[in-house]
Amino acid sequence: MPERRLVSGNYAAAYGALRANVKFIAAFPITPQTFIVEHISEFVNDGIMKAEFMRVESEHSAISATVSAEATGVRSFTATASQGLALMHEILAIPAPLRLPIVMPVVNRTVAAPIGIWAEYNDVMPQRDLGWMMMFVEDNQEVFDMIIQGYRIAEDKRVLLPFMPNLDAFILSHTYEPVEFADQDDIDDFLPEYKAEHAHLWPDDPMAIGVFSPPEYIQEYRYQTEQAMEASKKVIKEVNDEFAKEFGRDYHGLVEEFMTDDAEAIMITLGTVTSTARKVVMDMRKEGKKVGLVKLRFLRPFPKEELRKIAEKVDAIGVYDRSISYSAGGPAFVEVRNALYGMEKPVIGYLAGLGGRDVMYSDIKLMFEKTLEAAGKGKADKEVVWVGTRGVNP
Amino acid sequence: MYEVRFHGRGGQGAVMAAQALADAAFIEGNYAVAFPFFGAERRGAPVLAFARVDKGKIYEKTQVYEPDYVVVLDDKLPLMVDVTKGLKDTGMAIINTSLKPEEVELGRAVKTATVDATGVALEVLGTPITNSAILGAFAKATGVVSIESIKKGIMDIFGARIGERLAEKNARAAEVAYERTSVGICKGTLIYPEEKKWLPTAQEFPTGGALGLEVKTDAGLIGLGSFVENKTGSWRTFMPVADNSKCVNCKLCWFYCPEGAIEMLMNLPESEIPAGTGTDPKGNPKGIKIDYDYCKGCGICANECPTKAITMER
Repeated sequence: MPERRLVSGNYAAAYGALRANVKFIAAFPITPQTFIVEHISEFVNDGIMKAEFMRVESEHSAISATVSAEATGVRSFTATASQGLALMHEILAIPAPLRLPIVMPVVNRTVAAPIGIWAEYNDVMPQRDLGWMMMFVEDNQEVFDMIIQGYRIAEDKRVLLPFMPNLDAFILSHTYEPVEFADQDDIDDFLPEYKAEHAHLWPDDPMAIGVFSPPEYIQEYRYQTEQAMEASKKVIKEVNDEFAKEFGRDYHGLVEEFMTDDAEAIMITLGTVTSTARKVVMDMRKEGKKVGLVKLRFLRPFPKEELRKIAEKVDAIGVYDRSISYSAGGPAFVEVRNALYGMEKPVIGYLAGLGGRDVMYSDIKLMFEKTLEAAGKGKADKEVVWVGTRGVNP
Repeated sequence: MYEVRFHGRGGQGAVMAAQALADAAFIEGNYAVAFPFFGAERRGAPVLAFARVDKGKIYEKTQVYEPDYVVVLDDKLPLMVDVTKGLKDTGMAIINTSLKPEEVELGRAVKTATVDATGVALEVLGTPITNSAILGAFAKATGVVSIESIKKGIMDIFGARIGERLAEKNARAAEVAYERTSVGICKGTLIYPEEKKWLPTAQEFPTGGALGLEVKTDAGLIGLGSFVENKTGSWRTFMPVADNSKCVNCKLCWFYCPEGAIEMLMNLPESEIPAGTGTDPKGNPKGIKIDYDYCKGCGICANECPTKAITMER
């Protein structure tokens, strides 16, 4: 029988690493991630997790050690947030071209300045172009499930790319909610031991990885990585479906549609705002308003085909962002609008909750109402709308 | 669904109380969520924690603005903070105080449950940590969760953090508090000064957030030196009392005080030195003066004092 307990998002991530039989962890603390590696240190200390637990002196070292361990062919894990992720930037570019399937949860926290510890995606968005699969979770159950699914997707021979589940600082990391932990035997069947074929550094069987490469080789690396990222779309869906069959929870792969069938206006959301938005949609539907929700689970690979198909059904699209790409709009908005190029539908980008400001029910309702208005008029008055900013009209 | 807001001070365990309540409700088959306030927290400063409980899955991932219940861990908090803010008219305040509900003063006359959780905690735990005792009062006053489940919730959450033996004591504290809780209607006679907070618009915001010395705003001072208006003495549970006759002028308390709230008498003008003050071998007046406007009652001075000249009193 699977056990069901009330745990924090950080615990769910740590327990995911335990259940995924991770063999190597590099640990460095940073608020609000610290509890992930702290819980794992306890599991290892208590003997319930058999793994090498390495304490390092910085996040740069944490990701360096994790890349190196994965290159020896063992399932490796680390976790970080905010400034820590920024410090990792140089090494984050390494695992994808080398095709090393690391899983690293990131607890999304604002990057200074000004210094803060609450949720914002300006830590993760600057890391988009480094070849990591990036997805955003909605609740603590999904945190646990996506550590398990993450290794299965990442280690698939068609993919072999690093995997980064993103969870909102405090709203998930420090929030306790019920999580079901599948039985170890069932997880072992779903996620067998990792057997590295291409990269397995070992003195008895020498190999070179990541060697100096002049221009006549690098473009092929890039193309191969791009092919792997495109191939991951099918694998993500397959793994999702098998997981749903085995464990009863269906996340619908790259995107999840919620009440979109006859919707006139939809919001596309990332992270925990999705959860509150479900409630808003249910309530607005009761008022007869034709609104729907699309949970953008994966930002990499980017689900452009899925979004174009959904956009065909509706009259206007709103996109929620928890970070700003200055003078361009929110990153998710920019990417969605790019994917919908040529479709002639109004797309509005909403910015709210920056620096961890609470995105309230009324904020989300306002986003839906503005998008509905654009659906009626066939055009948007404003492309980028700041919600809940003092001195700025939305 | 019901929503609960916990008022405590940093270090009193309001977050753990919210978690234990959510765990208790979860044990009874509900969906339950517990989370901290998303804001700055410091030991001793007023803090918030929240819990939501419902039969089915809870989707709201926002803070709680209109709670059904407020739980107050510290009896002095209602003097500083309007704990009834946003509380539903049908709601209830559960307060740690030695007063009867009818004697309690809050901002609104609401259904109120009281228990001397500090007394219970001192009696059962030997420390004034009230986060477990107050949960017993919550169970008794609201009836939405049983005391048995509260005890299990405490065992789960406290047990994981402080060990099973101490968790058992905390469960016992909840049980004792459960028996001593009374319910009535409080007096709504407290008037709070208008809450002032500096909230500039994007246009008013100083360029780059740069602030100089003691910048005056409608909400008081901000920037460097603005702490003079923040009388942290109200965070205190225990106060240090100095017996200057035992003082040897070693200055350890002066050195270690994190607030700079201790001044050596020898550094004060003669007019401020109390009559009858003794002198040290060098002829300096011996003893200290504590600035209770800012002393948070952390007890470091009493702990450092080599002659036990400083004692902490409630």
